[in-house]
Order: sequence, then C-alpha cells, then structure tokens
Amino acid sequence: MRRQNEHVIPPETRATPDLSSGKYLVMWQGPQHPGITGNMSLRLVADGDTVVDCETHVGYLHRGFEKLMERRLWMQNFPLVCRIAVPEPDFNEYCYAAALEELAGVTVPEKAVWLRTLSLEMIRLASFLMWIGGQAGAFGHGTIAQWSVTMRDYVLDLFEELSGGRIYHMYIIPGGVRGDVPDGFLDHVLETMQVIKKNLDDIELVMFHNAVFKMRAVGLGYIPPDWVDKYGITGPNARSAGVARDLRKDLGYLAYPQLDFKLITGGRSDAFERAELRLAEMYQSIDLIRQIVARMPKDGPFRERLPNPLHWKIPAGETYVAAECTRGEYGFYVVSDGGDKPRRVAVRGPSYTHAVSVMERLVRGVNIADVAGLMVSLHTYPPEIER
Amino acid sequence: MNELAKELAARYGARDWHDRRGDLSSTVVDPIRLHDTLAWLKDSAGYAHLSFATAVDNIERGVFTLTYTVRNHEQGHSLMVHADVDRANPVVDSIHLLWGQGWTYQREMKEWFGIDFPGSPRVDEEFVLEGWEGPPMMRRDFDSLAYSDATYEGRPGRVTHDPATRMQERLYPEAGK
Amino acid sequence: MDIKDFIAPFAVWKRAFEKPFTVKKPIDERPGAPRYRGFHINDADKCVGCGTCEAICMNRAIDLVPVEGRDAKEGDSGLRPRVDYGRCCWCALCVDICPSGSLNMSNEYVWIDSDPDVFRYTPGVEPKPWDGSALGYRRAEGYRLLDGTRVPMPELDHHEAVKSFLELVRGWSREQAEKEADRCVSCGLCIASCPAHMEIPGYIKAVRDGDLETGLRLLYQTNPFPEACGRICTHRCEEACSIGTDGDPVAIRWLKRYIADQVELADYSKALPRKEASSGKRVAIVGAGPGGLSAAYYLALLGHEVTVHEKDEAAGGMLRYGIPEYRLPYPALDKDIGYIESLGVKIERGAPVGEGRSLASLRERFDAVFLSTGLPAAYGLDVPGEKHPRVLDGVAVLAAATRGQVLGLGARVAVVGGGNVAMDAARTALRNGASVDILYRRREEDMPADPDEIREAKAEGARLVEKAIPLEVKDAGGKARFVWNEATMVQKEAGKRPVPEPIPGAIHEEIYDSVISAIGQGPELSYIAEADGVEIRRFKPVVDRDGLATAAGKAPVFAGGDLVNDRKDAISAIADGHRAASAIDRLLSGKGA
Repeated sequence: MRRQNEHVIPPETRATPDLSSGKYLVMWQGPQHPGITGNMSLRLVADGDTVVDCETHVGYLHRGFEKLMERRLWMQNFPLVCRIAVPEPDFNEYCYAAALEELAGVTVPEKAVWLRTLSLEMIRLASFLMWIGGQAGAFGHGTIAQWSVTMRDYVLDLFEELSGGRIYHMYIIPGGVRGDVPDGFLDHVLETMQVIKKNLDDIELVMFHNAVFKMRAVGLGYIPPDWVDKYGITGPNARSAGVARDLRKDLGYLAYPQLDFKLITGGRSDAFERAELRLAEMYQSIDLIRQIVARMPKDGPFRERLPNPLHWKIPAGETYVAAECTRGEYGFYVVSDGGDKPRRVAVRGPSYTHAVSVMERLVRGVNIADVAGLMVSLHTYPPEIER
Repeated sequence: MNELAKELAARYGARDWHDRRGDLSSTVVDPIRLHDTLAWLKDSAGYAHLSFATAVDNIERGVFTLTYTVRNHEQGHSLMVHADVDRANPVVDSIHLLWGQGWTYQREMKEWFGIDFPGSPRVDEEFVLEGWEGPPMMRRDFDSLAYSDATYEGRPGRVTHDPATRMQERLYPEAGK
Repeated sequence: MDIKDFIAPFAVWKRAFEKPFTVKKPIDERPGAPRYRGFHINDADKCVGCGTCEAICMNRAIDLVPVEGRDAKEGDSGLRPRVDYGRCCWCALCVDICPSGSLNMSNEYVWIDSDPDVFRYTPGVEPKPWDGSALGYRRAEGYRLLDGTRVPMPELDHHEAVKSFLELVRGWSREQAEKEADRCVSCGLCIASCPAHMEIPGYIKAVRDGDLETGLRLLYQTNPFPEACGRICTHRCEEACSIGTDGDPVAIRWLKRYIADQVELADYSKALPRKEASSGKRVAIVGAGPGGLSAAYYLALLGHEVTVHEKDEAAGGMLRYGIPEYRLPYPALDKDIGYIESLGVKIERGAPVGEGRSLASLRERFDAVFLSTGLPAAYGLDVPGEKHPRVLDGVAVLAAATRGQVLGLGARVAVVGGGNVAMDAARTALRNGASVDILYRRREEDMPADPDEIREAKAEGARLVEKAIPLEVKDAGGKARFVWNEATMVQKEAGKRPVPEPIPGAIHEEIYDSVISAIGQGPELSYIAEADGVEIRRFKPVVDRDGLATAAGKAPVFAGGDLVNDRKDAISAIADGHRAASAIDRLLSGKGA
C-alpha cells in the first residue's frame, strides 16, 4: 500500500508475470474511458488490485496527417494541422505557420505576434480547464468537471468571436493571423477572465482542500528529476520535478520576452503537486492574457502578404519550431524540397513520451482505481502521439 | 558551436554543419556512428534531451534520412543529427538504452518507413496501423490517394466540371477540331 | 490533512442556488458569433464560376456544377460551387481566396435532416433560410490570400515619351513577371474570350516556373505574333480574368510579351515544333498582315509551300503601317515575321494582287488562296469641305510616319474620331511637336479605343473635345477651319447606348493646320472579280465557319481578318488565319472539310 509522501520509484524493467498461473488478471482500460485521456488503451496485468505490468496501445485516433500533408499545398495544410491536438489546436497552427515563415523568410507583423500570443494563452487556459475537470473526475469529483468545462466553453466563446470557430480556430495562418480583434472583444476577454478567475478560486477551495483528492493524489505517480532527460519529459511534469524549463522562457518566441511572468516549479513531483502547479499556471495564464490585452498594439497590419497560395513554393530547407503547450514541448519539424507541398512534416507532442514510456513505467505498482487519475495527472492527448 | 562541430567531426566524422537559426543547427554522420554520436552528445556534451526522432524518405537518393533532434537546455541550443541509411537495407542501431522513449520512435519508424532497429523493444509490433497490410505508409512511393480510391468508395453523385472545358463546350465547341 | 480538507468540499453546495450555465434550447436562442463560420452563402450573380474555391479546398468538398438558367458567357463559366458538407471542414479558405468575393459564410450552424444527401447543395442557387445573412464569416478588411494589385509596368515618363518614338512600355524584369504570373489562379475563364483561344493559364504557369521555352511553345500553338500581341493586343482575355472581378486583372498581355522578349529569335527553333515533311501543295496568301502571316505560319508548319503577296514594301500590314513604333517597335514585329519566314514562307513584297496578277491567276497556280487584305481605305469625314487639302487620312498619316516621311502636320492638329487609329494619330502628331485636339461625337466612355490609349494620349497632352459632331471644313488661308456642333447624349431606346443629338446653335469652330480624319476604314475589294465566285455582301466576302469564301470552282478561296470579321483586331485576324490554315490543310490533304 502506497503511503503519502512516500516516493516509490517503479522498477525500470518490466515484470514477467506467469499469466498461466491463475494469479494475475489481464484487463484492458480504454479505449473508451471516461478519464478524458482520449482514445487509447492500456493493457494492464494486475496482481490483486495492484498493477504489475502495463502495455500502452495507440492508434485509435490515427488519421495519417503527416502523410496527408505531403499531398497538400503548403496553405492547404493550415486547416489540417489544428486537428492533431484537439483541445489545443492553436499550438499546431502556430508551429506550422512559424516553421513555414522561417523557411520562406517571412517576418510576421507586430500585431500578429501579439494576437498569436493571445490565442496561445487563451487556449492554454481552455486546455487546462478541460484537464482539471478530467483530473477531478478521475477521482470522482464530477461537479468540478461541470464547472471547468463550462469555463472552457466561455473561452471557446471568445475564440468563436475572434476566429469564427469554437474548437478549430484556424486563426494563426502562415503570414500572420486571419483578422484583427472584433469590436468589444478585448472587453469580453477581460470579463471572461474575471469569471474564470472567480471559478478557479472555487475549484481551488473544493478540490485542493479536499481529503479525498489529497489521499489519492499525494504521492501518486512520483517522477524523479533524473527521469526528465531520460524520458524527454517536458512541461508541468518536468517543472513539478524541479526542472526549471519552459520554452516560453527558453526560446523566447512571440511576445513572451516582453511579458512579465515567472517560471513555476515544484519538487514533490506527484499527481497532487502537478495539479497544483497547473492550477498556478492557469492563474498565470489569466495574468498573461491581461498583460497581452493591455500591451498589445491597437493598430497595424495583422498579416504579411504571401504569394498566391495555389502556387506558393518554399525554398528547400528544414527547421524545427517548438512552443510550450500545456503539456510541454510541442514542435513541428518541417522539411521542404523547394516544391509547393511539404516534403515531410513531423509533429512532436509531449504525450508521445508522457503517455507511453513514462506512463507504462509509472503505473507499475499502482492500484487499478488510481490508473485513470495517474494518467490524467500526466496530462496526455493521444492524437498527438499518432498524428 | 563551431567547437562542437569540430569535436563531432574529429570524433565521429560529422560533416555538413549548418546553423539553421541561432538556437538550431544540423549535422550529418554516417549511420554506423549515429548511436555513438548521440550517446556522446547526451552524456558528454549536454545534449541530454531528445526532442524527437524521425525519418525523411529521400527516395531520389535511395536513402532514408534519419533525424534525431537533441537539445542542450543549459546552452539553449538544439542540434539535428542526420544520417542517411540505405533505402534497400534500412537497419540502424537502436537508441532505446539512451533514452526511455527511444523505442517508441523506433517502433513508429519501423511501421511507417520499414526501418529496422534490431533489439528495440516491441519494434515489430503494430504501432498505430492496426491490421495494415500495405507497404510502410510514409514511404514516398506509397500513393495514399490511389490506395484510398482503390479501397473506399466515393460518395455517389459527386461530379465536377472544369471551367475552361465547360466554356469551350458551350461557347466555341468547334475549336480543337 | 486538516479539518479544512473535510469541510471545504461542501462549498460546492453554494452553487445549488445559482443560475445554471446551460442554455435552454429552444427557449433561448444561441446564434453563432458574427464571424461564425457557418453554412456557405454565395452571391450567384457576382460569382463567375472560376473554381478557385474548389482548387484551394483541401477536403475536395467543392464541385463546380452547371445550374439552371446560367449558361457560360464571356468571363463566367456558368458553373457554381456546390458544397458537400460530408467533407467540408469549415476552414473558410474558399471564402478567403474567392476572387470575386461572392462566396461567404453565414453564422447559421443548425440544420437537421434525416436524409444525408441534402447536406450537399449549391449556395445561392438552392434557396436556404440563411441566404443573404448579414452575419457570418467574411474576409477581414486588409486580408486577402490573392493579390488584387497588378505589378506596375515601367513606362517612359509622358513628358519624355512625347519627345520621341521610343517604346513607351518598357517591359518587365524576370522578378516582376514572375510576381505578376503568381497572381493568376489558372481558372482559364480567359481562354474563351481570346479570339485565338490561347492557352493562357499554361503560358502564365511557364512564366512562374521560369520555363520560357515551354511558354513560347504554348504561345505559338495558337499565335505566331507573340511580340506584337504582347504589346498591342486588345486583350479581351483581361476583361474575363476572374482576378479582375475584385482587383486588377492579371496582365496577360504583358506576360505574353515577357516570354517573347526573353527568348532570342535564334533559340526559337529549339522551343517550337519543326515543320512537317513537304506536302507538295502550294498556297497563295494575299496580304502580309497578321491574318495572312498567321495562315502562312500554320500552313508552312503543316508542310505546304506558302507564297504571300504583299502590296507594300514591307510585311506586317496594319501592325507595321497602322501602329506607331512607340507602341510596337519594328524590331519586335520583325522578330515575329522573321520566324515565320524562317520556316520557308515566301513573302513577295510590293506585289499587289489585281491588275497583272489576278485572283483568277492565283487560283490557277496555287492549290488554295487565302485573302486577308484588311481595311486599307479610310472613310471620309462626310461633311462639306472634306476634300480640303489639309484634311488628312489617319491611316495614311500613320503609314507615312512608318515610312519615315516628313509629315508636315503643322502646329495645331485636330484628330476626328475615337478609335485606336485616332489615338495613334494624335500621339504621332504630338511627337511631331503639334498641339492636338481629339474631337469625338460621343463621350470619352463611349470611345472604342483602348482605355490605356485614351489615358496615355491625354497624359501626353492631347485635349479631348467630347460630343463634337463635324459640320464642315472651310478654308482659312490655306489652313482648315473645322466647324462642329456640340451635342448632348440622348437615351433613345432603353438598353441601347445613348446617341448624340446636336444642340441647336451650339456651333464651334477652330482653325487647324491639319485635320486628321480617323473615323474608320473600309475594304479594298476591286481585285475580286465577279467571275471569281466570291460572294460579297455588305462590303465583305461571305465566308463559312472555316473562312471558305467560294462554293466551287478552281482552287478554293478563303478569307479572314479585318476584311471579314467584326472584331477588327490583330488577334481575331490571327485566329482567322489559323482556322483557315487548318481548313485548307484538311481540304488539301483530303481529310474532308
């Protein structure tokens, strides 16, 4: 039995249970699982109610995007990439656009830089709101999920107003963005931030001062700091392990160098602290959004004119553009052979390691009932694994 | 970074160093030295974080170009290490002991490109393509549209018209005689 | 763990008494945001069916379909986009790219039906409740995927231009041409409007790709005068250009010129098709203008032996004698003609057909004859005093300028007319140091001349006198006193263009050193004898679709160009020549008419 504040490091090698012994139970969790981990499945081997071995299985959301992109014009891929990580489409849009702009030698207007930053922070908040509902729900606290998903919808309302789409915004287009903010939009942003902040205060009270959540999350899924490089862990999962890395600081892209924010790190590195850290980053996002609204240029062009999208060719070359999404390093590796279509686009999503290698190891020794909570505490999105 | 380029050249015969951006460079090594290059970068040069690994099918040259992107967080620099492997016999040393997530990338490259990484855990298992019987789907010579047309039926009733052809038919049908 | 951890969770109960977040459908409406990307709407009258929406759609959700009551016409394919919502992803790139701006989106997103096939419809054609919706996704102001602005063409400054006969339009650099070619969406709406149906999207693509030899080959498929047409074509294609529906049309004419200018004559033969083996058949062509030489080119290419009979001392017809060199420099024209001659076409210069070389004799000596003698005879002013020695014929003035003769127009010149000949005569007079008035019966917008020519003539200093009906030319001590009646425009019949009506008493007069009459030209048909069997009706040989003018007899006679067609421009003559060449080839090779 796991105890609070006890750092159990699961074994590195897989157990080899004798399945014919009758001692073990093989069970599948997923792919239809209500833990908001998306569609992937875990093949668990349990000894009693303790997991001794786990194999992840992905592929339920594979849509062949990387192949599809090689058959489409550079600009035609712009509406395609957002689907790779459904709750956070904007990071795909940004990385794809920024990679193309870098290869084509295009500089984006100042206004677009700020609008892109605004969209990325808004979607960070929305994605965290969805995640916190999942995290609470995985431990039986469905009420919080109802609140937070509503709050997420309020952010989606803002996106709808800004871009015309709720889920797939298709706003960050190569060259800039697709439009300036509508009249009154920034006021709506500030009003919504007020509402969400108040709601976060409520969530903080009932979720983080909650005996059940503490009992189940504290000590669950401890990630030692030396795993961070070993497994390529990034984002809140790494910061909670005390590794101070945030691409918003490290790469200094978009308007982040001009914004005032501090890296949030932890050290206890368990499911509870990762949740606390994400909650703190939600407050930080609200603060960043307010800063952006206050400091964004009021006027100016929002898109650099590019060649005709039907004939646009990008000089041969390759690049890797990354950004800090809610879960860590999100990146696009783009190769051009000088033609009108990409030679290769490869997407790096943090779940690629968090949901597979890290999850498979962390789950060893965990109670079956905690598997969903553990998985959500890693904040994983299967579609970015399979693309 | 040029010191690193020199060091890699001296140790592993790395060549074609390019600075793509202030914080991103690329270099090329022989596939046989790929594992050792990455191990040295990880353990001795501070490039401890593997961002991703993938391949590009350079079918015209008959090679798959492997790309391993590693990052040195202290220096804020990323390096893309490339290696060309023979498309006819694509076998590469596994890096699953260097990075804990390495085997997943290798499983993916095995399924998508047909590149083998002997010794890599579960490398022959299906990754995302359940029941796939076609050739490795990310190879350039796999025509996904032709596959789709042959495998699935289009929606009936879909027909389109080319404007110029239509105008010729309607306005000057005698031309082209 | 402290006592708060057991009490705090009960705070959720406070919300039991708050208003829920949910929307009570259908009691409360929840319309999409003003920018919402909902179901498509299309202004079917504004849409030109160019298919650019279909080209950008990465889901292949759009088909172009014929719709009832809308046939193809110039600049409109008559097709309209049909959207398959089984595939549409609502990205609105189709809206962003739509050249005319006709395609938009409503903010409606609710549409329920049990039949999946209804979710495929032609917006703007099949009525829907959201048609005409004021809300929904539109292209943001200042945001376009296509470039509506033409790359500026370098031109001589007008003050400089008027001092010499140097070519006014300087032509594009490679970078400029490729940038302009990039604006094209390859819809092909232009092809139908071109009398020669040139492969316009193809040669524009060749410019984009930097493959000018392919470009030249595509030009010569339908037009052996790319240097000339690249400068002076009436470019009806540009009126049909879909980009021109909301912006400057693609400068198709200048791109054609760019291709021809960039390839050296010596390299033409590498790019262009070789001629076929000799057929042993001989064809005579009367008139070495664009129509005659176009026929000559295609006939020579097909292996026939071609002899062109030209009355003037140089070939080119109106391209040489009617168009001033600042618009079409002679070396450019000579390049076009030079390539045609290099295929073995024999041009007999200074050899008019008529006395001593009758049409009948040509029909004896050749297997077929093509007449393209154009409209060489200028119409008179048709007013008292039109024979005054200072009343000159515009075409003759231009021809004299070509020949380098001293024009002696004097200091004050009136040009009567509103066509291109009038503009050319006026600008030639300006270049000879005269001050020029252009007098025209109707308004500027009614002028048949190319708008560019009118604009340039004015910029170079010509004064435009509109609504001036000539009354008389009187002698004023050797000069001409030109008298005209000011007119007002009267809409006589609805739907027709208004006609000028003289204002009683509004008589004006002015003394000019020369009055150049440029009100039109007629044919010179005296060389056609009745026995030739060529039917003449309303001063034109009557021809069939292929240009055949004789029903029977000896060698068949074809006719084309200004002599026959109503468009009276070079490109139509070139098309006529090509068409007749194909028909002659079919006849001579026994493939049937």
